[in-house]
Amino acid sequence: MLASRRSFLMGAAALSAAVVTPETVRAMAAMQASADWALATADLEGDVARRVMQRVHGRAPAGLEGALFRNGPGKFRRPGGSATHWFDGDGLMRAFRVRDGQATLEARFADTPKRRWESEIDAVVTPGFGTPGGERARIGSPNDANAANTAVMAAGDEVWALWEGGSPMAMDAGDLSTKRFVTLRDDLKGMPFQAHPRYDPDGTVWNIGLWGDQMIVWRLNADRSLHTAEVVPLPRASYMHDFTATARHLVIVMQPWVFDHHTMPYAAQFAWKPELGTQVMVIDKADLSRTRIFELPTFSYFHLGDAWEDGSGTIRFDVAAGKDVQFAMEGARVMVEGRGTVPGEPAQLSLITLHTDGRAEMTSSGITAEFPRSDPRRAGLARRYTAHVAGERGGRPLPTGLAVHDWETGRSDAFDFGDGVIMEEAVWVPKPGRSGERDAWLVAPAINLRAGVTELHAFDAARVADGPVASWRADIALPAGFHGLWVG
Amino acid sequence: MIRIATLAAAALMALTAVPARADDATITLTFETGATTGKVMVALFNSEGSYQSSQPVAAQQIDASGSVVAVFDHLPPGDYAVKAFHDVNGDGQMNTNPFGIPVEPYAFSNNAVGNMGPASWARAHFTVSGDTAQTISIR
Repeated sequence: MLASRRSFLMGAAALSAAVVTPETVRAMAAMQASADWALATADLEGDVARRVMQRVHGRAPAGLEGALFRNGPGKFRRPGGSATHWFDGDGLMRAFRVRDGQATLEARFADTPKRRWESEIDAVVTPGFGTPGGERARIGSPNDANAANTAVMAAGDEVWALWEGGSPMAMDAGDLSTKRFVTLRDDLKGMPFQAHPRYDPDGTVWNIGLWGDQMIVWRLNADRSLHTAEVVPLPRASYMHDFTATARHLVIVMQPWVFDHHTMPYAAQFAWKPELGTQVMVIDKADLSRTRIFELPTFSYFHLGDAWEDGSGTIRFDVAAGKDVQFAMEGARVMVEGRGTVPGEPAQLSLITLHTDGRAEMTSSGITAEFPRSDPRRAGLARRYTAHVAGERGGRPLPTGLAVHDWETGRSDAFDFGDGVIMEEAVWVPKPGRSGERDAWLVAPAINLRAGVTELHAFDAARVADGPVASWRADIALPAGFHGLWVG
Repeated sequence: MIRIATLAAAALMALTAVPARADDATITLTFETGATTGKVMVALFNSEGSYQSSQPVAAQQIDASGSVVAVFDHLPPGDYAVKAFHDVNGDGQMNTNPFGIPVEPYAFSNNAVGNMGPASWARAHFTVSGDTAQTISIR
């Protein structure tokens, strides 16, 4: 299988000048035993020039025109030392472009100071979320550690590769070449800008950046220029990968994974304290000093869905909720090892309700889910559906299918490819001229493990169980990405 | 992690001129700046102790509108290191963002970069036995 062969060759190259010891033989044997999902965290050795994808199923729906930009780690291992955590690979920007029924794929690494230095010395030395780093790290500012590997924001003729501890990295949307770190105002240079901005219907962008128990709240105009930035104190120094928003409020979800002591890697600074419960702070977008606190039972999370509120002011949002931080601390390490068992249980799609009288409740759908996404036309507004990846099981990481959950009926419209496929996050692509919530396609890549290649699938959001309406196949496999964005 | 860098960078702000000891060597430092406003503040150190405590043996402020060259002369042979920052807006301070991270460029001799802090003496120092020149990128 391709993954094993690739790992083996890499290992063999690294050992070429070494004596073959019993340890070496054992290590080689272990590499041979790579998990079938190991292609998800394989290394990509360089940029991938634009190539045509072959249509292997269905027909491209008329009106599906645009580009899916996706970001995610693409390179973990170097001879002198490697990233040991899934979140710490070099950012690789992918572009799946669909036009006239044809699809193409290309990918380029974000040309960060981290990647430049580590390429020069052929060793990963920069500390990250879960990678300790080494003596040779060169970090004079947060952006020197910026992997630019998490998500994407569109900005005119640029796409911004987002991380969470530093600035966006601007890349050219046409050829994915790296331009510069984005400074939204000179006095805010290097401030953290997280990976999950939220959007108002008028194009206003909201985002946060965390620094202990302080948070900068970014508000950008539709043209991506800065409107305002304000520092807001937080009741606890919680690790947060995401936040959400309604049309009127920001919703900050503080899991009980809280700052404990300064150390590296970054995640090791936080202690899991389930006895604290999970707190939610709701902030008035019109006056960031107006806040309310809600208390919820303990859960962990990485990803939230868009929030909405009804006429009474009751706020609702979904979350891919976990029980603890085992995946973040240990599972993501196993992912890069490419073998072994990933501990912990997969997250479940849950709905959180914040009542106007201060009560908060959480209801689990019982469905395994990650990467919740919803109709961008309804961002911050009332909605009924959530798309998510599905099929992950305890012990085997990564999802195998896609589903749309209906919060009104509790029904799940799901399709599963089976263990031969790793499903990646799907984005909603509204059908032109239509306005119904499910008048959309869900577009997502997947890794076909049997063929050893990356595929692109388009589903009808109203009929997911029917399977993709169109599928295209590349002649290469890219490692699994994290988050994407459709630009029509 | 960058708090350490901030503290060290703050130390750069207290640049005070100290008379050089009479001797023969000259250090010429050419700075490549990303802006042409304000001044580049340059501090020269002649020992690890002085470097760590930010007690420069000499210091200069170079206008950034033209070529930015700092010349330290009449120096005795020995080991030296340089800390510099570009006061782009000319307010005499090293400005930081709301979380304390420097927003004005700073640099060290050898173009050394620190590891979650200022560049160490080990990375930044260089040996002077005669006339010595370095080009330092400060962007």
